[in-house]
Parts: sequence; structure tokens; C-alpha cells
Amino acid sequence: MIRFCLLVYRRLARAFPHEFQIVYGADVVQLGEDAIQEIAKTHGVLGLVRLVADLAWRVPVEYFSEIKQDLIYASRVLMKSPGVAVAAVLSLGLGIGVPAVGYSEVNALLLRDMPGARDPKRLLTVEKPTSYVHFERYREHRELFSGVTAYVESLPFKFEHERVFGHLVSPEYFEVIGVHLAADGVVISDRFWRERLNSAPDSIGRSVRLNGHLVTIAGIGPKDFLGATPIVPADIFVPMSMQPDLVPELGENVTRRSDLKVFRVLMRLEPGATAKSANAAADTIARQLDGEGFDADRNKKGQQVRLLPGGGAMPRPPELLPIIFGFMGTLMSLILGISCTNLANMLLARAAARRKEIAIRLAVGASRFRLIRQLLTESILLALGGGVAGFFFAYWLTSAATTMYHKFPTPMPIDLDVRPDWTVLAFTFVLALIAGVGFGLAPALAATKTDFGPALKEGAVTRLRGYRRFGLRNLLMVYQVSGSLMLLIITGFIVLGFSNMSKANAKFDPANLYLLSIDPVRDGYSPNQTASLFEKLRERLQGAPAVESAAFTDVAPGNMFALGSTVFTVPAAGGEPAKVLKSVKKDIAGANYFKTLRVKVSAGREFSSRDEEDASNAAQPAILSEIAAAAMFGSADPIGRRIVNEKESFEVVGVVPDIQGESLGVKPPPAVFVPLTKRAYTRPPSGGMTLMVRASAPGGDAINEIRHEIWAMDPNLSVFNVRTMNEYLEQSTTIMRWTSIVYGGFGIFGLILASVGLAGVTAYSVAQRRQEIGIRMALGARPGQVLRLVMREGAGLVMVGSVVGFLGAWAIARVLSAISAEMAETLSAKQPLLMIGAPLLLAGLAMLACYFPARRSTRIDPVTALRQE
Amino acid sequence: MLKTNWFYILLSLSGQEQHGYGIMNDVLERTNGQIRLWPATLYGTLKRLIEAELIEESDRRPAAEFDDARRRYYRLTKLGRSMLDTEGQRLEQLVGVLRKRKLEAL
Repeated sequence: MIRFCLLVYRRLARAFPHEFQIVYGADVVQLGEDAIQEIAKTHGVLGLVRLVADLAWRVPVEYFSEIKQDLIYASRVLMKSPGVAVAAVLSLGLGIGVPAVGYSEVNALLLRDMPGARDPKRLLTVEKPTSYVHFERYREHRELFSGVTAYVESLPFKFEHERVFGHLVSPEYFEVIGVHLAADGVVISDRFWRERLNSAPDSIGRSVRLNGHLVTIAGIGPKDFLGATPIVPADIFVPMSMQPDLVPELGENVTRRSDLKVFRVLMRLEPGATAKSANAAADTIARQLDGEGFDADRNKKGQQVRLLPGGGAMPRPPELLPIIFGFMGTLMSLILGISCTNLANMLLARAAARRKEIAIRLAVGASRFRLIRQLLTESILLALGGGVAGFFFAYWLTSAATTMYHKFPTPMPIDLDVRPDWTVLAFTFVLALIAGVGFGLAPALAATKTDFGPALKEGAVTRLRGYRRFGLRNLLMVYQVSGSLMLLIITGFIVLGFSNMSKANAKFDPANLYLLSIDPVRDGYSPNQTASLFEKLRERLQGAPAVESAAFTDVAPGNMFALGSTVFTVPAAGGEPAKVLKSVKKDIAGANYFKTLRVKVSAGREFSSRDEEDASNAAQPAILSEIAAAAMFGSADPIGRRIVNEKESFEVVGVVPDIQGESLGVKPPPAVFVPLTKRAYTRPPSGGMTLMVRASAPGGDAINEIRHEIWAMDPNLSVFNVRTMNEYLEQSTTIMRWTSIVYGGFGIFGLILASVGLAGVTAYSVAQRRQEIGIRMALGARPGQVLRLVMREGAGLVMVGSVVGFLGAWAIARVLSAISAEMAETLSAKQPLLMIGAPLLLAGLAMLACYFPARRSTRIDPVTALRQE
Repeated sequence: MLKTNWFYILLSLSGQEQHGYGIMNDVLERTNGQIRLWPATLYGTLKRLIEAELIEESDRRPAAEFDDARRRYYRLTKLGRSMLDTEGQRLEQLVGVLRKRKLEAL
């Protein structure tokens, strides 16, 4: 027993930290051996256990005390050179903060679960909106889905006197999501109840006006629950059993028709079913339905219906994840890598300066491991400082971004809170640790490798450092130059791509142009009442003195989301085959639309109020943008020709210049304008109908006059989104402009780090070669020759780095253009500028960064330099 | 205030230089076997006392027949001695206060 205890005791004693062991290891063992007999006699087995336990406890205590010492020592070292510490923390703060921002955004968009949902991983959603008939078929498949619901998302409702966005839901909605609500009727969100109804306790059962009709509030949703698409939050949930005159979207027999694809479908997987089998089944169901003749384009190939994970902030196509993570990952690791390399270089230079200190510690018995740990403690301490700075940076940037997302003039409110949560904090912390080890390990290994004999000799030169091609510092420098170049080129592409969208590039005169929106149907107007309201409003506007001209539209022009998504066909005529034009932008242009925008019609005419009378028998008139005209008819005269969209036939009556300009090689989408018809304002888009007003004089007179006219007609009519055209253009481009500034900032950040790094390397090399240079100068070398000698080294590094970076950037650009067609267009348009300009810019700056420290070498006085020997 | 272990070690070094085993036995005796400084704890504490400059390693050795060459001997520094004295006074004062209170209670 005693012998066994001694064996364990000796083993454990060997686990003490190196330094402790050198001094006390033998004594501890000796004392244990001496005392063990006596201990066994006095305390018995319990004493032996305590003896061993004491040792087992002290081992970690000693380690902990060493770490504490390391920390104290490290903070002292850092305090001694606060400049280095601050520079390191700031540069790392960006290096860590930028990935944290990226992760925070991805987290908010793709990783967070739908708040309030039960087991969100089991929820699936059909990728595209579908018809109610399709939904009913999906619902029949009980063996796959334990529940299926259909809903119409982001619909505006008029709740008492305010516009509220919500969902129109099938009865299964709450059950499928897993929200416990025994309510049958209109449900409001908890947020709405607290913020708008001031948490009134008698809210349930209260009668309120919804779209002008009396309804009863049947329930309040659970906390944080904002519907099945939380990114576009819903504050009110209206059952589909409501009357169609209450909810215009329920008109046109929408639940009986398979061609009106306006419903989103959310399903919960049955416990045994897999997403794969559900996907296959959903596709088969859709094919069957189409086979029954419900769908006109039934001969489509490939998968027709796809189910996506539906339990997040928004439906996310799985193929998006690798792209986003790949792209983000590349960008982020470049930034973090550059900032780490910069620090590694800095620490390497410092390690060289600290050779003596390290040599002394090695000589007095510190193990190499201990010293490496000491140095790593310093770098991890720096990295944690950088992590804290980075987290604050991320918090600041994402808060600003969140505010901007909220201000974005989308028709429906967007709730995209990209501020960091605890997972981002954890991510930042881990990143800081990785960075700390990443940039600290190589310098620590290099520093402790010193052969400490010569280092201790006063005045001795450790090694005459010549031109070492593959030295660690050179490798780091090449990585830094190439990384910065890649970063510069990638961010350059992003900046150029976004600046496309950030300039509203409106080719119309926004001065004295005002916007306001109305939505009479939600105010309880019937279609006929709405029609007469629009007519009366038009008459009154013509008489208003402050109004030069006014026109209705569905979405005001100049929005960056002016992407085309409508398909138009040009029927075969005059020997030419039929043409199909995808991604056409279809806009409603009320009478005087172009007059109000001060855009001159280039051929034909623009719409008049006569075009707005519902002429369902004849072909409706249409106006083409010049780009659309060229795409559809080439150089032939388009006036009088026919085009078809969704089985409706249009006759071209006019051609107008593009209101959206070309920028940076990307052409605006072809646009087709159709007149404002009764159908348009009885089933308005979620932003209501927008009235554009050209005032005859600056100032708010015109808008007040119009408001007054509207109120005079009906004081209950809501007028919303009142703003100037300039405000609107500004709001819709802020995010893009800001994004390009931020990305531009990243590129410049890399550029600065690379330059600073090169300057540091050159300065260090000059300091190391002082004597060599002194000798050369004493032997008659001219300053120019010395300068060239020093610069040659830097130039070599820049050159190798540029070539590597250029190749890397080229590869990345290829991948990017393979992913996105738009990206490819921007890339090909701007490729020469960036691919040549960026390397030149970087090389120029880098050489400048080399030049300043190199110039110092020419001022070395040979006498002073040699005297130090 | 001195930690208990520190106090006992300083106390046992106050009379003479000692090695680890000696200190352990000395403390055991002084406290009638109540307090045993287990080896690893003992040397851990000695290390910290040296770092705090309260004790130091002694280079003087006792008479050869008692000496064990492998053992390190420790002695109080000036600082250690004054620390021990201060702690003694502090404890005396405390005990004084307690006694007075007991008398008042009577």
C-alpha cells in the first residue's frame, strides 16, 4: 500500500511545472518519502490518501500561478510599449470585428430560428408562392406532413386608423407553427398589443375597425412571435374565412383558382418523414395537378416545386449557404489573416529586440515551452483586447446597419436586426483565441530558438542577416501583400457593384417632386367607390394652383430594387419568329406620368386619362422604354405592334427614354409601362397607390394642398409615405452607399496594413544591416547604391506578393462570376480597371512604404555604425 | 493578515534555520498534531514566501552529522521577521479586545 502510494506520489510530482520542479521537485519527493511511514502510522490509509490528494491539488495550483505570473508579466511588457499594444489592438479589432460583423449578419439572416415556433427544424416551406388548390393537395398528405398551412404574407391592413402589416392565414396556421392559440378570428401580435394598444387588459374581445369593417380581436400571439416570415414581421393575423370585401386579396375567387399563385405554404414534417421524401412528394403532387390541366406551362422539365427549410427568419435555399459562407469565409479570413500577419511581423521584430531577455530566461532554467507559453500569453492578451475592440466595432456597425434597414423604403416594413447576440460574442471570443495563437506561435517559436551564447555577449551581432529568400518574415510579407491585393480587388468589385445601385441614377428631374400614397380599398372602399374617388381626385388636382402636374403609379421610379421579373412575348409577325423577353420591369404609369417626371416621349404618345377607362374588350395600350423597344423589335418601329403578358394583349402606343440610367456598364432592365386600370387600384400592391406630384414652386405647399383636397373628400382616408422624391431616392440608396463605403474601408484597411508591414520589415532589415551598410559606405558605396540594395529586397517581396495575389484574385473573380450573372456583368465591365489598377496602387504604396525606412540607410554614418562593433 | 500556513512557517523559522521536513514536524508539534503541512502544500507555500521575500534559502549548514546535503535550508529575512512580529502584535491586540469583552460581559 505504502509502496503503491509512493509510486503514485512520485509520478504526480513529475507533473509539476518545469520551473517548480527544478527548484522543489526533488525536495517534495524527498519529504514525501521521509514522512510517509510516520503519516501512515498516525493517520492510517486516510493520511496516505491526503498525502497524494495534496500533491494532486497542488499541481494545477502551481500551473495556475505560473499562468497568473505570465499574465502579469505580459501586461507589464505590453504596458512598456503602449504604442505597439494600441496599434495591435486596433488592427486586430478590425481584423476580428469585420468577421464578427459578417457572422452577425449571416446569423440574423440565415441561422436564427423563427421566434415562438416549436421545433423549427421540422418546418418546411414551398420555395415560391403557390395556389390555394396546390396547398389543399399538399394538406392531404398526412403521412408526410403533420400539418400544412397557407398564408398570404406582408399584407397591409387598416387597423382603426393605422396601417399594420400582417398575414392572411388558413385555419391551420398557428397549429403548424406550434403556437398555442385557441383563437378563431383576428389575432394580433404581442408586440402590437403592447406597443400600440398599451397592453390594454380588455383587448381580447374588443371590437375594432379592420379595413373599415367591424371585427373582434380573438387573441394575442405569444411573446416575440411575429409570424412565419419574421424578417417581414406580421402584427396581425386575419383568417381566410373573412369576407372578400374586407380583404381585397380574397376577391376573384382566389381559393378556387390554381392560376393565382399568391399563397405561401408552410408544412410541418411528420416525425417519420424526411425532407427528401417530402420534396419528392411535393414535386409529384404539383406535376399531377398540372397534368390535370390546371397549369398552362405543364411541359416544364426538372423539379417544379422545391421545399426549403422554413423555420428561420426567412426561407433559405440550401445552395445559398455554401456560397455565402464560402464568400464570407474567404473575405473574412483574408482580413483576419492580413491583420494577423501584420502582428506576427511586428512580434517577430520585437522578438529580435528581446533576444537578450529571452536568452537570460532560458539560461536561468526556464523551459522553452514555458517561454513559448509566456510569449503566447502576450499575444493572446493582445488578441483578447482586439476581440473586445472588434466586438464593439461589430456592435456599432451592425446597430447602424439595423437602423438603416428599418429606414429602407420597402413597401412593407422589414425587421432585420443584425446586432450581435451571444453566439456572435462566442464567435468573436473564439476568433480572438485563434488569432492570438495564430499570430503569436510562429514568432514565439522563432524567438525561443535562439542559440543564447552569442546573444548574451555584449555588443555581439547574433547573425549577419543576409538576403534570406524563404525566411519566415519574407513569407509573411508575401502573404500580406498578396492577401491585401486579393482583398483590394474583391472589395473593389463589391464597391463598384454597389455604387451601381447606390447612385439612384434617375434620369428624371427630382426637384419639386413629391410622393404620397393612398390605399382606399383598405379604408373600406368598394371597387366602384375607389374608381370614383380616383376620378374626383384627378379632377381636383388639375384645378390645384400649386400643382404643376400629378400622376399615379404603383411603385415610384428610382428604387434600386428596379429589377425586372415579368415575361413578355412578342408574337410572330412579318416573317419574324416570336420572341420571349424575360426579366422585364412592368410598371403602372397613370395619366401624365412622363409629363410629371419631365421625361420627353421619344415616339408615339403617353397615357391620358382616357386610357384608364377599363377597356377590357380591346387591347390595352403600353409604352416601352427604349431598351425594351430595341430588345423586342430591334430597329423596327414598335408603335402599333402587339406584345403579350400573362395572356393579356397590349398595343404599343409610345416609346420613352430609360428613366433609370446605365451605370458602370450594367444596363437597366427593359421596362414596359401599362395604364392605371380599375383592377390596379382595387387590388393595390402592399405599398398602396403612389401619387407623384410636380409642384409649381419649391416648399411643401403642393403636398399640403393635396392633403387638404383628400381630407375634404374623405377625412378617414389614410395618406401615408409622404416624402419628397429626393428623400425617397436618398433612402433607397443609403444602405448601398454605406455598404460600398464599408467595403471600401476594408480594402483600404488591407492596403494600409500591407504598407505598414512592409515599412516595418524594411526598417528592421536596415537596422539589422547597419554595420554591413556602414562597411559598404566606408568602402565608397554611394547613397544611391545603398538605397537600391535595401529597396531591392522590398521590391522582390512586393513583386512576388502581387503575382500571387493577382492569381488568387483572378481565381476568386472567376468563382464569383460563375455564381452570379449580375456579378459577372459587373466583373467583365470593370475587370481591366481593377485587375490593373489595384496591383499598381498596391505596388506603388508598398514601394513608398519601403522607401522611407530605406532612405534612412543612406544616412548611416559609417564611423558610428562601425564603432559599435 | 498573514495566512495560517505562512504564519506557522515563519514561526517555526523564527528560532532557527530549518529544512522542509523540520518545518513540517515543528508545526505538527506546536499544534499538538492539529496542523500538518502536507509536502506539496509546504513547498508551494515556501516558494511563495521566498517570492514575497519573507524567507530565503540559507547557505549555512548545521553541523555535518545533522546535515543532509540534498536538503535546502530556509531562514527568515528581516522583512519576514518584522512581518511575524507585526502579526504577533496584531493577534495579541485581538485577544486583548476579546478578553476585555468577556470581562465586561461578566
